[in-house]
Amino acid sequence: MLQEKRIPIIKIGDYLIVSIQVDMHDKLAIQLQSQILESIEKTGAKGVLIDISVLEMVDSFIGRMLSGMASMAAIMDAAVVIVGMQPAVAITLVELGLEMPGVDTALNMEKGIEMLNRRIRQINE
Amino acid sequence: MNIKNAKKRIDNIEDVLATVAAGDLEARIQSDIEDDFSGIEAAIDLLIDDLTDELKNRKKIQNELEEKLKKIQEQQKTIVQQQEDLMELSSPVTKVWDNILILPVIGTLDSQRTQIMMENLLHKIVETGCTISILDITGVPTVDTQVANHLLKTVSSARLLGAECIISGISPAIAQTIVHLGIDLSSIKTKATLQDAMIYAMKQKERVAPGHKSDLLYLDDEVE
Repeated sequence: MLQEKRIPIIKIGDYLIVSIQVDMHDKLAIQLQSQILESIEKTGAKGVLIDISVLEMVDSFIGRMLSGMASMAAIMDAAVVIVGMQPAVAITLVELGLEMPGVDTALNMEKGIEMLNRRIRQINE
Repeated sequence: MNIKNAKKRIDNIEDVLATVAAGDLEARIQSDIEDDFSGIEAAIDLLIDDLTDELKNRKKIQNELEEKLKKIQEQQKTIVQQQEDLMELSSPVTKVWDNILILPVIGTLDSQRTQIMMENLLHKIVETGCTISILDITGVPTVDTQVANHLLKTVSSARLLGAECIISGISPAIAQTIVHLGIDLSSIKTKATLQDAMIYAMKQKERVAPGHKSDLLYLDDEVE
C-alpha cells in the first residue's frame, strides 16, 4: 500500500527534484522525509527542490516536517528549496505561526534552480 | 325598568357585535328608542367608533413603518455594495517593472481590508511570477498592533511563496507608534520612500538575475 504511494525523487545534475502530486498524510510525510535524506546520502546531491504547487492543503504537521527536513538536509550539506507554494497554503502556515524562517522558497521550479545555482556559486567562490 | 322589545334589541346588539368582530366596522346599533337601555346601545356605538379610528390609525402607522423599513433596507444594500466596491478599488496590485509588483495602500487599514489585500497580493505574485513586491503605506494615517501584525503576516506569506516583500513610506507617526507598541519589524525590509524601495528592488533584481542585464542599465548610473 505504502509502496504504491511512493513519491518519486528524481536526480538531475547535483539536485534532487521531489514533486509532490498526491495529498500528503502524516505517514507519507515521514516516509518522504527519510526517503529524501537517504537519497541525499546516496547521490551526494547539493540541493533538493520540493515542488508543492499541487498541494491544496498543508497542515501544521507537514509544515513542521518541511522545515525540519530543511534543517536536516542543511546538516548534510544540501540546501532545500520549497517551490510553488499556493497563496492559501502560505496564509494558513503563517496563521499557524509556521513561518519557516530557515527554509528557502521560490515561486517556481525555474527560479528554485536559479536560486540553488547562485547559492552553490557563492559557496564555491 | 322599562325596556321595550328587550329580546329583539339584545339580539340586535349581538348581531352588530358579531359583524364588527368579523371585520365590518361600518355596523352600528342606531336604536331610535329612548329608554333606560338606549344609553348602553349608544355607548356600544361609541366604542365601535373609537375602535374604528384606532384601527385606521394603526394601519397608517404600520404602512409608514413598512415604507421606512424598505428605505433602510435599500440604504443598507447600497452601503454593502459600496463597501465591496471600495475594497476592490482600494487594493490594486500593479506590475510596474519586470519582476516588480507594487501595492499602494491608501486610507485606514482594518483586518478585513488587510486580509483582502494580502490575498490579492499573493495571487498576483503567483500569477505574474514577480519575485519582489513593494507594499507602500505612505497613504496610511495610523497603524495599530493588529494592522502591523497583518503587515508582518503578508510579508511572511509572500516569503513562503518565494517572493520578497518590501514595506515603504512609513511615516514618522507610524514609526513612533510601531516602536512604542513594541512591534518588531527588524525582520522586514523597510524603505523610507517608494523611490528608495524601487531602487532597492531594481538592484535586487540585478543581483537575482545577473545573467540578463536588461533594459535597466541606463538607470544604474542614476542609482549609484
